[in-house]
Amino acid sequence: MIPLIVAFPLAAAFLTSILPALRRERFSKHLFLIGMLSPWLILPQIINNLPSNEVVGNWSRVSGIEVAVDAYNIPFIVAELILSAFVALYVWGYYPRKIENKAYVLILLLHSGLLGAFISRDLFNYYIYMEIASVASFALVGISKEKGARRAAFKYTVFSLLASYIFILGIGIIYLKTGYLNLALIKENLEMSREINVALALSFTSLLLKSGIFPLYFWLPDAHSKADAPVSALLSGLVVKAPAYGMILLTLTFPINTSMQKPLLTLAFLSMFFGIAMAILQKNSERLLAYHTVSQMGYVLLGISLLNPLAAAYYALAHSLFKGGLFLSVGSLAEHYGTRDLEKLSYRNNKSLMLAIVLLSLAIGGVSPFIGAFGKAMLIENLKGFLKYAFYAGGIGTLVSFTKLNYYLSKRGEKIEIPRRKEAISLSLAILTLLGGIYLHPHLSVFKDSISLVIAIFIFYLLRKLGVFEVSFKAFTPEQFKTLGKEINAYMVLFTAVLLLFLFNFL
Amino acid sequence: MKMSLIVRTTTKLISPFLVAYSAYLMLYGHLSPGGGFQAGVILAVSIILLITSHGYNRVRKTFKFWEVQLIEGISGGFLVLLATAGVVFGGFFYNFLRGGELGSLISGGIIPLFNIGVALKVGAAFTFMFYILLRWVERD
Repeated sequence: MIPLIVAFPLAAAFLTSILPALRRERFSKHLFLIGMLSPWLILPQIINNLPSNEVVGNWSRVSGIEVAVDAYNIPFIVAELILSAFVALYVWGYYPRKIENKAYVLILLLHSGLLGAFISRDLFNYYIYMEIASVASFALVGISKEKGARRAAFKYTVFSLLASYIFILGIGIIYLKTGYLNLALIKENLEMSREINVALALSFTSLLLKSGIFPLYFWLPDAHSKADAPVSALLSGLVVKAPAYGMILLTLTFPINTSMQKPLLTLAFLSMFFGIAMAILQKNSERLLAYHTVSQMGYVLLGISLLNPLAAAYYALAHSLFKGGLFLSVGSLAEHYGTRDLEKLSYRNNKSLMLAIVLLSLAIGGVSPFIGAFGKAMLIENLKGFLKYAFYAGGIGTLVSFTKLNYYLSKRGEKIEIPRRKEAISLSLAILTLLGGIYLHPHLSVFKDSISLVIAIFIFYLLRKLGVFEVSFKAFTPEQFKTLGKEINAYMVLFTAVLLLFLFNFL
Repeated sequence: MKMSLIVRTTTKLISPFLVAYSAYLMLYGHLSPGGGFQAGVILAVSIILLITSHGYNRVRKTFKFWEVQLIEGISGGFLVLLATAGVVFGGFFYNFLRGGELGSLISGGIIPLFNIGVALKVGAAFTFMFYILLRWVERD
């Protein structure tokens, strides 16, 4: 029963792709929507039989491919289904007729690839589905009408494929040493050795690149900010979660010792603060949100490095809901203003978008009772001493950055019309983060939240008086390199350095 | 982009044999070395040979762009639907057509069907990729 949630969107993708040949392109919208929403039919049955596992084709475990749904991946699947349903409604009629069919097929492939990666319990099968999702997302970034989108897509392709090759080398070493690709069988037959450690270092580094963690984040702000609003929502909300799920699978299968935990923990905190610092300096609305993805993936990695995969999974769920909502709502504003410059955008004339953006900003800042607070409450359980305060500081930093976003958006701007449907989608995602938070973790900590909000607003005014927001920040932008080749070489050296660091640390 | 008469005649002679070989690999993939992917590549090679010798504009008239697109999509959909049909009999990708003596052609159940689907998908996809690249090259 479980593989059907992948089969339906995949079949819909193939059927949509033949419509132009039959000259029935006008039906591609309908087929697309059916494909995107069909996995919902199977979800109730899966949730009723939780946890369940199945080997495809009723083969034995040794020769078949295992898929499973349990407590660790149900948050990912639910997040995928919710956000992709909203994006499907948003994309309906969004693309111009000429590329409409292609965009629908690509989004369907992305959808089925992500679902396939989230249910798989077999390293190679996981890799294949993650690749389907990545390849679809390269193309989706490339078809954006934004200037520089193709350059961003090319950079994304090069680095993502590099990470894939390194990852499959890691899988190959694991297969060579244990004789299995199935994670349950690997766990039974595992004998730790130097080779396994090398494999773990290779796979962790490549998955860190694919999920955009701090030193390896360089492709992410470009790719996520140049894409169209619904595609950015999918990329930021879901595509970076697939490698995070891979890391969860690895930590559940292999014994991770402290020497492996430490670099991951350090990178998690660095990523959190670096993302916030860069986001505060951005003037482009989409780039601001993209840098917050770097920061929020730090939180997910924090859960993984503390060996608390459940917290990471629920934080990923929370992040995909509010970040998807933010990209959709700010993206609709930016699209109808025709610019992504924060100073020219405004939500003054648009009450429902204003409500949506404020609610989502509170959710990403971890204010209770939103869903972000639930994720943070789960993460903070294992933290002690200094790290606990660093974690609170991260939450306040996020609030500072979103105070800035709301401050600029609340300025007066010219009046524009935004379609009701786009407003309704943004607002319902915002309300969903509130309801989800109340359902999962019904509590209210007024004192703590109001203190952090006050501190955040105070820091925001301090920074504004100091003129930090006026600094034009040219470094770390694609323009600093004259040619794309040089830029890619520079980042390739960085990737090699991180890879060597991990190899020496894990050995 | 036409090559000499000798090349054109030779490729015309070779192409049907390649198709026959590809069909053999498709149908006997479960009994002998071979299988869907290899069969598909050889199927695509038979058309790509014709393209290189006769030129894209000539080949396009016989093997039309939309036909290739149709075969690619339908075979992909066929694979997924065949796998889904197994759910009725016990599981996704379940081999529900088992029968026949061990080593005979029909003993593979749905595996030869999958090989045919994969071969058509791969062959059509390779040809389609060539068509798209050539359309871009010969635009000017």
